[in-house]
Formats: sequence, structure tokens, C-alpha cells
Amino acid sequence: MRALHPFTLIGIAVALPALAWLLPPPWGGAGAMTLALALCAVGGRGAGSGVLRAAVLTAAPFWFFLFLLHGVGGMAATGLRLTTMIASFLWLIAVLPPGRLVEAMVAAGWPAGAAFLLSATLSAVPALRERARNIVDAQRCRGLHTRGGPRARIAALRALALPLVLSALHEVDERALALETRGFSGSARRTPLEPPSDPAAERVLRWALLLGLVGLLAWRIA
Amino acid sequence: MSVRLLALIPVAVAINLALSAAVDAVGLPLFLDTTGTILATALAGPVVGIATGALTSAVNSLRNPTFWPFVVVQVLVALYAWGAARAGWFRSLAVAVPAGLALGVLAAVTSTPISYLIFKCATTGGIALTTKLGQLLGLSDLGACFFGSFLSDFTDKAVTFALVTTVLHGLPRRTAARFPLALRAIGRPGI
Repeated sequence: MRALHPFTLIGIAVALPALAWLLPPPWGGAGAMTLALALCAVGGRGAGSGVLRAAVLTAAPFWFFLFLLHGVGGMAATGLRLTTMIASFLWLIAVLPPGRLVEAMVAAGWPAGAAFLLSATLSAVPALRERARNIVDAQRCRGLHTRGGPRARIAALRALALPLVLSALHEVDERALALETRGFSGSARRTPLEPPSDPAAERVLRWALLLGLVGLLAWRIA
Repeated sequence: MSVRLLALIPVAVAINLALSAAVDAVGLPLFLDTTGTILATALAGPVVGIATGALTSAVNSLRNPTFWPFVVVQVLVALYAWGAARAGWFRSLAVAVPAGLALGVLAAVTSTPISYLIFKCATTGGIALTTKLGQLLGLSDLGACFFGSFLSDFTDKAVTFALVTTVLHGLPRRTAARFPLALRAIGRPGI
């Protein structure tokens, strides 16, 4: 499953929730959900062995809140659709490393900037989260009280958020300089190091998925 | 798009997603997950803001895919922030906070149909519980859904606008000079 082209994996992950919404409830949603959970169980083996568990744990609160708001009768159709969506995307994340997607985007002729945005964001988020935790610890060491009334908490929030945001903005210049030195301001097309193979059968599968969903949508509207 | 603006987007997305650590520390019922979107728009215009919002939803979806449909709200926030920046609504907290409250209403109006049609209002725990409260108060399903979204967005966007205003006013002069739009947003285009 992991050997499939990244665009094929994305196509499958998008098609399953679309099927869950387009096919008549509850059996359409039940079928799509079963497929999505099966993908999690099979495709998530190895590095992503907890995918099925993660999907079930992520979906469980939605079932609870649907039951709370709409009772047993109202929760099935939406619950099946949401579980399909959650399972499909968690499976996708487990089987598609971001670096492989970037390679596929570059090979398909996407601008280097788009590929950079994806990879840079995925690396920037955990780094800034770690810095946020460090700032919280540092400010507490300096005597910042993070509890009390709303005014005190808002003041504490300012003391935590301001250094985080300003330090992050300070990095923009360094990142821009790094991009300049790597020729990002030019328009030359990049060459991927390891472009994923894209067999004709997979391209046909992607088109079939797209046409099938459009046909299904037309059938449901008619 | 210049490399500086390209470099700004991942940083702004990271701001959107990292501020939750600060919110958790103070225990306030806020998200602040549009701070980077509003800030990027005020610094660099609507294209950068919309890209930041869309990328935030995409990255958030890696953790919980149910965030993805709310990308529309991020786009709306970027467009509103662009108007606010052009009008100089970040010039003081007295102007920014009401502007943020108005955005809270708009965000709730936008997120309600998404929440109702896709999730039947069963989104995050807090919103689902306030929606239940709305039902108990006798509101219709759609009305209760708006009630839940409104309670979460109203204060959140006001605090976000106040925070962005504080950041824009606290920017070092050297950094602010690289983003002329920021000076206009705080009502000092001539500096």
C-alpha cells in the first residue's frame, strides 16, 4: 500500500469520505466506514500500527456528542460518515510520509514554493510548540501566575504569547535568507531526487475514482 | 510571491497551532487558532493570509481530519483581517476589540452551516455541550448550533484581535519596516 503513488493514496483517502456522504445512508456510510477501517488495520501495520486504534479513539467523542444531541436514531448516519473521514485521513497520514508527497509534487511540476510550504510548515509547527512550552516554563520560573480571575489570566496570556509570536516573526528574515541562497527566487524547475513511480494503472485508477464520484453525485442529485 | 512572504507563511501557521500551549497554561476557553492568519494578513496582505489559513486547516487535519471543512472560516478571517488592516483597525485596543467581536459573529455565522450540515453540531466537546445547552433552552437544532459556535467564537476573536494589535505595536522597527502593510494596519503609514 505504501508503494502506491502519493496522488493515488490521496485519491483513495478523499474518495472514501465522499462515498460515505454520497451513498444512501446508513448502508453507504457503513460500507465506506468498513473499507476505511480495514485500510487502517491493514495499511497501518509497521510504523503506524496504532492507526486503527487512533481512528476509533478520535471518532468515539463524535459518536458520544451525536448521541447527546440527537439520540440513537440521529447519530448513525453522521457518525458513520465522520468515522470514515477520520479513518481515511489517519490512514493516509500513516502511509504517506510528507517527504514523498513533496517529491511527487515537484515531479508533477508544482512550483517549488508549494512544496516548500508543506515541508517547512510540518517542521516549523513542532519546533514552535516546543518553544511555547519552554516560554511557559520560563515565565513561571520568573514568577508569572497563570491562574486567578479572567483579567489576571488574560495578562498572563499576553506575557506568554507575545514573546512566542515576536520570536517567531524574528525567524522570518533568517528563513528568507536561506531560501534566497537556495535559489527560491528564481523560476527554474526543480529536479526531484527520488520521484515516486506513477504507473499507468494508477493514473487510470485516479481518473476512475474521479469520474465515479462525479457520476454518483449526478445520480444523487437527479 | 517574494521569498520573505513565502518564509512568513509556515511561521504564521506555526503561530496558529503553537499558541494552544499558552492558552492551556492559563486555562481560558479560547482557541487563538487564527492569530497567525490575522497577523500574516496584516503584515503581508490577503493572499498570504488565505494561504496561512488553508495550510493551518490542512496541518490541523493531520491531527484531527474534522478540522478540514472549517477552512472556509480561516479564509473568511483572512479576508476580514485584510479589510481591518486597510481600515487601520489595529491602531488601538479600543478599536481592535470591537472589530474582533464583529469577526466573532461573522465566524459563528460561517461555521454554523458547516457544523450543522457535516457534523450535526457534534464538533469539539465545548461547542457540542453549549449546543446542548441551546437545545435545553428551547432553541431549534440550527439555532442551538449557532449558539454553540457564537459562544466559542465571540470572545476568541476579540482576544485574538487584541493580541495581534499588541504584536503589531510591539514589532521592532527593523522588522516593521520590512512589512509596510503593518504600518498601515496600526494607522502609521508614514513612519
